[in-house]
Amino acid sequence: MVRYTVRRVPSAVAILVVASVVIFTLLRLIPGDPAIFLAGPDASPAAIVGIREQLGLNGSQVAQYFTWLGGVLTFELGRSVVLGGQIETLIGAAAINTAVLALTALVLAVLIAFVLSTAVVIFERRWLTSLVTGFSALAVAIPNFVTGVVLLMLFGVLWMVLPAGGVPSAGLAAKPDITAQYLLLPAVVLALPSAAALTRFLTESLRSQLELPYVTTARALGIGQGRIVFTQVLRNALPPTVTVLGLQVGQLLGGAVIVEAIFAWPGLGHLLERAISTRDYPVVQILLLLSVAVFVVVQLLSDVIHASLDPRVRLEGAR
Amino acid sequence: MNRRHRRKTRWQSKTALALVSALLLVLTGCTSAVQQARSENANAAVREGGTLRAATNLDLVPATFYQGQSVVLGLVYDRLIDYHSDSLTPQPSLATGWQVSHDGRTATLELREDVQFHDGRPFTSADVEFSLRTYADPAHVGQLARTAQAISGYDTSAPHRIVLTLAHPVSNLFDLFSIVPIIDSATAAQLFTGEKYNGTGAFKFTNWTKGTKVAFAANPDYWDGKPRLDGVDVQIVPDAQTRTAQIRSGQLDLVLNPTIRDADQLGTTPGFEAIPTTGTSLSTYLGTNVTAPGLADVRVRKAIALAVDRDRIQAEVFQGHGQTGNLPWPEYSPAFDATKNKTYAKDPAAAKALLNEAGPVPELPLAYSAGDPAGERIAQIVQADLAEVGITVTLEPKESTLFLKDLVAGTYGGLWVTLHTFAQFNPATLTVSAYPFNSDKNSSNFIDAEYKAHAEAAWKTSDPTSPEARAAYVALNDDLLEHLFLIELVSDTGRFVTSSKVHDISWTHLGNLDLSQTYLTEG
Repeated sequence: MVRYTVRRVPSAVAILVVASVVIFTLLRLIPGDPAIFLAGPDASPAAIVGIREQLGLNGSQVAQYFTWLGGVLTFELGRSVVLGGQIETLIGAAAINTAVLALTALVLAVLIAFVLSTAVVIFERRWLTSLVTGFSALAVAIPNFVTGVVLLMLFGVLWMVLPAGGVPSAGLAAKPDITAQYLLLPAVVLALPSAAALTRFLTESLRSQLELPYVTTARALGIGQGRIVFTQVLRNALPPTVTVLGLQVGQLLGGAVIVEAIFAWPGLGHLLERAISTRDYPVVQILLLLSVAVFVVVQLLSDVIHASLDPRVRLEGAR
Repeated sequence: MNRRHRRKTRWQSKTALALVSALLLVLTGCTSAVQQARSENANAAVREGGTLRAATNLDLVPATFYQGQSVVLGLVYDRLIDYHSDSLTPQPSLATGWQVSHDGRTATLELREDVQFHDGRPFTSADVEFSLRTYADPAHVGQLARTAQAISGYDTSAPHRIVLTLAHPVSNLFDLFSIVPIIDSATAAQLFTGEKYNGTGAFKFTNWTKGTKVAFAANPDYWDGKPRLDGVDVQIVPDAQTRTAQIRSGQLDLVLNPTIRDADQLGTTPGFEAIPTTGTSLSTYLGTNVTAPGLADVRVRKAIALAVDRDRIQAEVFQGHGQTGNLPWPEYSPAFDATKNKTYAKDPAAAKALLNEAGPVPELPLAYSAGDPAGERIAQIVQADLAEVGITVTLEPKESTLFLKDLVAGTYGGLWVTLHTFAQFNPATLTVSAYPFNSDKNSSNFIDAEYKAHAEAAWKTSDPTSPEARAAYVALNDDLLEHLFLIELVSDTGRFVTSSKVHDISWTHLGNLDLSQTYLTEG
């Protein structure tokens, strides 16, 4: 097992190296640089040259790449050229906020999907099925910047029952009940498309199970539909849904970029959007490389788990 | 009913009861975040103190301290002099008196003696020298750096008097004094990294949570009296709709840069006030690359100036705010000329006649910053107006950094729409320091010896209201109207939106926030 894992490491490292080159090059291919943003609309070309000098952007691209790579390898990620702080501090704070938001949205999506799917198959009412189908279609079709603004105006402005965006002034950890209220709207908006996808998938999965002989047998024994669903069918319908759930995590993190902007939630999406628009190369490079690294690590872990479960994979790799 | 069914019913009842109880506990036991946000100032509203909660879309950018840091610059720092909103007459601030020699080569400023930085260090003439020298450094991109660079000598032998020697007289010296923040030499390095802002202003910088909030506390030792507020929290809220929603919901007291539409809507809503920042200037113009095909002929540029419907732009985009005109100056500017300001009004027939003389005009690209709804709408109106006189325009939305890149490099293919500021100061500040007007190199690639001579003449004079200076302004106005490398459209001010419990809010000529006299009430 260890040998299998070790064999996989070089390809993971190669992917990271190639990714670092691609990220660095692509960013430089985008017209404009941080000096232009920092100098502003009334700056002279001479002022821009001066800022480029300050930021170390006048050296050769190759030298800049190796300086950056050296920093990454020694965990000296550097400073944001626009915001001025240490990159690890910036990313650390934003990552916590995004994790809280995405995790809450994930829990909400699962809860919504669970309640709606089981209700549809237990009660078997046409109106309920139509309602849930309609919800699923709408939640997938309407972009989250629309649902975000609508819910913000309804709950934050018209009814004033939830905060209209932002984070608690004392921080997320100070008062959990207050934090929960700030979190609710963005989390719901972020959760809706995933909840819709999971609902459709789980409902279909439950329906497929309900057509199988063991359910017919249970019904013949006089067991109620609800009990059959909760005690027997759900257990069998969940595994494929869990696979879909894993894919939804990526979608949630992607959707967080828009939702964080609408609700002034200071997470990674907010940071990345701002860093790209201001050409804050050091921050964008690290955020993109980090996302590749996470993907590579997850891929490596899944390969290792797969290999541990299936000896053929291990042996095939050893040949 | 069998035993199993009864047990199931009891289980369901207990579960339902537990769920309802938990829900009630949550609803009654938790504090409402909305109530908490609205009541954070409830006590402060009826007495001196309280924290003012503001929002802006722009986070701090420490590397460019002198640009776009209006909150920090306004709250934490003082300047040598100030201007009233509708005048260019210097008013005392850290300098209490001043004298400029007849030849304009020496300026003497008397400084306040009762001022100290937030860390307790006394303010002296050496701080003025350090501040002006730092501002003059091209690396810091100070807008009036060229004027600061004209200062060739500093005499700081007296702690509360500074004598400046200038390489040549400059007409916008007091603009420089009204813009340059007085900074602390000991913490200057931390200033440009955003770690520490040590000024002499009414509020002390306390904390910056990047991307989230900047916090300030009242300076109890402020030379102009302790501010009535306890502090100011400025939240970073990128989305305009969210900022509006937050002030409507009571989460905010002040929105710093609302859209015109949001300001108008809130301004007519009870409980809110839209405040135009009189004295600031945001002029929208149509830029022309005078080297681009078609636009090299000044008759085509004049035809464009005659084809554009400025009144429609003012009515539809600016909701009736601002002033239309052909020159950048506000009425209180010494360069203002009411007659010349109306040289080009919409006249499609005259425009067509000029175009007939000039011959066929190729299709012209018109760039604007993508994501700027006002810029997009203006570009569409200009496109329609020019189509009316036979000029085909293609719209080119550009990502904001790319837009800036073309602006600075002068690489637009034809026309562009954007804003300039600095017309609210003495005229030389615009023609010397605002890049679109720069006579040496500008976005329009317009290089003209006469224009350069007139710009220099307007700048290198000690009194901005002298007959010589006024003669130079007349010549500059003629240059601007004759060559039309920038076609002025509408000049407007910035604006704030406040809840009605915010009183006595103020701002500098540059639009920097001044809350030194601000207080809160329940109203």
